[in-house]
Amino acid sequence: MPEDTRIFNFCSFADLGRRMPLRFFLFSLVWFVLTGYDGAGWIIGFPAVLLAACLSLLLSPSPGISISLVGACRFIPFFLRQSTLSGIDVMRRALSPRPVINPGLVSYSTFLPEGAARVFFVNTISLLPGTLSADLHDNRVTVHTIDRDQPIWANMQNLELHIAVLLRVSSVKEKK
Amino acid sequence: MDILHNAGMFFIILGLPFFLSGTVGLLRFPDIFTRLHALTKADNVGLGLIIFGLALQSDSWLMVARLFLIWLLVLIASSASCHLVARCAMQKKIQPWSRP
Repeated sequence: MPEDTRIFNFCSFADLGRRMPLRFFLFSLVWFVLTGYDGAGWIIGFPAVLLAACLSLLLSPSPGISISLVGACRFIPFFLRQSTLSGIDVMRRALSPRPVINPGLVSYSTFLPEGAARVFFVNTISLLPGTLSADLHDNRVTVHTIDRDQPIWANMQNLELHIAVLLRVSSVKEKK
Repeated sequence: MDILHNAGMFFIILGLPFFLSGTVGLLRFPDIFTRLHALTKADNVGLGLIIFGLALQSDSWLMVARLFLIWLLVLIASSASCHLVARCAMQKKIQPWSRP
């Protein structure tokens, strides 16, 4: 499948008609939660929501991701636990008499497909203990680690599998 | 509701040392990458605990949803900007500090 590298990728009107209302609704929900019942706020809110929905369609026209419920039930506790551990880990390193760090760069190739899954992966890496995504080229993620003695490889694989289950990524697709 | 109020206060106070250690890390760590580690991770946990504490103290569900949404948006913004800063540093060929 040829990869489309254009940022602005226009989809057909039929697709647009299906996706626009959903995104409009989601951004409206964000606005409503942030501003509350104030009706006058919609004078600013409506154009902002409309712009946000159009911009999101321009930047990311691909059909929405499908989230597996079972995957979410596994991912959310995993994520909360790991990000709390990462905060404690940083606290320990920063507050010890001499900062305990042994940083380095690690390169990791992910099987997650281009698009939402990969972006999600790269962003989540930075919130997990000891790792920070520094660069992304195709499927190669450059990870900066604060401690080279940690099992970085295993941690990445674990996260990758959690995301694959969450976003229903099938490994069969990859082998084609 | 007094128990909820006190529990909320407990979580808010629990969140403060994380912000402190994030800043201490920012000052003490040797290079841009390690400083990013300190800021993003510690501050996210600190914010999460404070948001949780405030949610326990709040009196309406809309406020709880609002606090949660703020946390989610900050989470997305901080991890994305962390990645962009690190990527920019990589492209400028800034060598990561390593233990001698």
